[in-house]
Amino acid sequence: MDFIKLQTDQTFIKELEKRVESDGPFTSHQLFSLAHQADQAKIIPSFTGLRSLDFLPHMSFLDHQLVTAKETIEKMNGRAILADEVGLGKTIEAGLILKEYMLRGLVKNALILVPASLVNQWVNELNQKFYIPAVSHRKNYNWDGNYILVSSLDTAKRSPHREAILANEYDFVLIDEAHKLKNHKTKNYQFVRQIKKKYCLLLTATPIQNDLMEIFNLIAILRPGHLGDMTTFKQKYTGNKGKVEADTYLKQLIERVMIRNTRENTDLKPSNRHINTIWVDFSKDEASVYDRLNNLKKVNDMFTKMTLLREMCSSREACYLSLNKLLESRGEDEDIQSIIQDIGQLPAHSKADKAVELIQSIGDEKVIIFTEYRATQLYLQWYLQQHGISSVPFQGGFKRGKKDWMIQLFRDRAQVLIATEAGAEGINLQFCHHLINYDLPWNPMKIEQRIGRIHRFGQENDVKIYNIAIKNTIEEHILTILYEKIQLFENVIGELDAILSELNINNFDKEIESIYAESDSLGEAKIKLENLASIVHQMANENKAAGEYYDNR
Amino acid sequence: MTIANLESFIVEFFNAYGCNVQNQESGVIQVELTEELDKALMNRPFYWHYMKSLNQQGVPMSLTLITDPDKRDMKGEWIDIGSPRLQQIFNHVTSQEKYVLLFQEVEAEINTPLYPWLLANFKISYSGRQKKEELISLGIHLLNGKMIVNMMDELEKLTLKQQISDLCYTITPIITLSSGYKRLEKIILNYIDNQPKEWANEAMETLNEEIALLQHFYQDDLDDKILKKEVEELNNRYTPEINIEVISGGIVYLLDNFPKS
Repeated sequence: MDFIKLQTDQTFIKELEKRVESDGPFTSHQLFSLAHQADQAKIIPSFTGLRSLDFLPHMSFLDHQLVTAKETIEKMNGRAILADEVGLGKTIEAGLILKEYMLRGLVKNALILVPASLVNQWVNELNQKFYIPAVSHRKNYNWDGNYILVSSLDTAKRSPHREAILANEYDFVLIDEAHKLKNHKTKNYQFVRQIKKKYCLLLTATPIQNDLMEIFNLIAILRPGHLGDMTTFKQKYTGNKGKVEADTYLKQLIERVMIRNTRENTDLKPSNRHINTIWVDFSKDEASVYDRLNNLKKVNDMFTKMTLLREMCSSREACYLSLNKLLESRGEDEDIQSIIQDIGQLPAHSKADKAVELIQSIGDEKVIIFTEYRATQLYLQWYLQQHGISSVPFQGGFKRGKKDWMIQLFRDRAQVLIATEAGAEGINLQFCHHLINYDLPWNPMKIEQRIGRIHRFGQENDVKIYNIAIKNTIEEHILTILYEKIQLFENVIGELDAILSELNINNFDKEIESIYAESDSLGEAKIKLENLASIVHQMANENKAAGEYYDNR
Repeated sequence: MTIANLESFIVEFFNAYGCNVQNQESGVIQVELTEELDKALMNRPFYWHYMKSLNQQGVPMSLTLITDPDKRDMKGEWIDIGSPRLQQIFNHVTSQEKYVLLFQEVEAEINTPLYPWLLANFKISYSGRQKKEELISLGIHLLNGKMIVNMMDELEKLTLKQQISDLCYTITPIITLSSGYKRLEKIILNYIDNQPKEWANEAMETLNEEIALLQHFYQDDLDDKILKKEVEELNNRYTPEINIEVISGGIVYLLDNFPKS
């Protein structure tokens, strides 16, 4: 008993005496018993188990996520490497663990360090899914106080933030993409090592990429000494390219601080993605307009030209609007005017015909169409209506209420949702499993987000994705050179994100834009695109291999 | 968890604060807040500050809260056991409504004495590798020193008012508040002493193991700064601790026959 720190409470009785003396204030019986009910509701009745589940009735967790959270807390005492394969919900596991500690009053402040591109996503997920009041760190915020702060590691490690963070004590520290810490000589590593923390989670899909020292270093952040001291470990394992499983003892030790779920060992049977690319030929007239746009000498800005060509592949209307704008800014221009006239003469767009045909062949099932252009959206809505197909529009500018309303209409009434924006978090469209990419954005992340709307946990059917692309146009480049090569459509949700952030490509659009803008010919652009695709592809393979390196048993 | 019906809890909460509450349709609660609750719940201090500086009456907001999952799509704010709004309500009520001075309601025909009781609702937190909490409600008769457990439950069976009923009068305590409280605390300490201690032993074992591991790791340099930091972290994480806190309580004047058995 004497080794237990015991703290009693004198404030209550002093305050009560004070109130008796000054005649109050006192509360009514009704409010008093409401307060008591609330106190009872908040109580943590047992050392074990996940109390947080009671407070998250809107979430449904997968079995492996629950087991991981429980093990991390009960067996690993809150310090662990979460190394699930991509797409199994490491974020969910981490959120659940944090929530549990907060409910138990064991965590009051937390520091969550993630790649810059993921800061907002983390904040949103913690807020919406876990009701955790996380905030992203802003310039004038303090690093102390009882906040759940999300920041990028790059910001945090720079002065003066670095000093402020190291002066503070955190109940909970989380590092996402923790494989960046595998080298103990780097600034990142030294910094994280010095942060004062109680509980600590390291998240990575690739705990070991090349060398066993990497895992040694990660574990030294959580539990120094767990794998022995560095000199001995080095002697034993350096140059040992053999796999972890060759040493059962080491593997067991690692498993005491690391949890890795793989698709194979979870009961998760993800629905599959089926990708169909549907090629469409321009009609003779459309092709001639496209060629004229392509040969427009007066538009020598490659980017503007690309935009016009992409628009032409989407709808006459989208292209028409841009040409008109061009005309306004440049004044009289015979070439442009005559193209505009030609566009006016064109009958229905070949792609729209194909889309109608496709939707009819799908039958009664729900379909989402994504397009980049508002004009195309309007046109399609009209055109589908002409063919007796009901649809509702969806775009980023809608207010939250209208978005919800449109989705409800789509679910209950309309067959098709025509959307210009995919990013909106929290919209669940799992009830639909057909998706048409009516045109292709240049940013592959957008494609991921689009697909992610329907291909997510809870989708019970295989997801069918249709890319409608026009032959012999810029669409063919983007699709065949870039997207097919990086196996974009087969990728698991989230994987691409990790790769791009590793490559420091924050803005894929810009990357592609600049490729076109800086290329003198289409041929040159093609080669550059291919190079870009190769890098991403290679990276994906390396990550995959690194995962297998540990998993092979 | 003891809030069996969230909806009636919420309705009762707002009613108790004198808000105008509409709950005609089940699962949907419409509330016109009072100024007090607007300030407590709506997080707009600047508005109230501004109104005050203009010497104007502020207009409290209205809330529509939805508890029925089938009505989630309706206009309003979804509220469930975990949602921030409910936590806010919980925090408000548990922090503001801690102290009572109540009298049992009696329809007396002759002069009737009411006897003073001290009520204290203890929360005991045990933390080691993990954490557990326990609520114990105790009461002590401030004349004869008689003590009972589950005092709150007993009180729920009675009608208690902030004013004393006609023809009733109170008996002055013999035992002071602070010595009454000491007796209750002693009961709690005694209770804790008789509880199983495995959790604390486990925590100590883990702590010692972890420190040994750490020292082995830093064997070449036991003065290392990081070593000291890590040891401190381990102490924070594992040192077994029991925390006793009174979360609510007060003085209750009751009839001689309390508790009715």
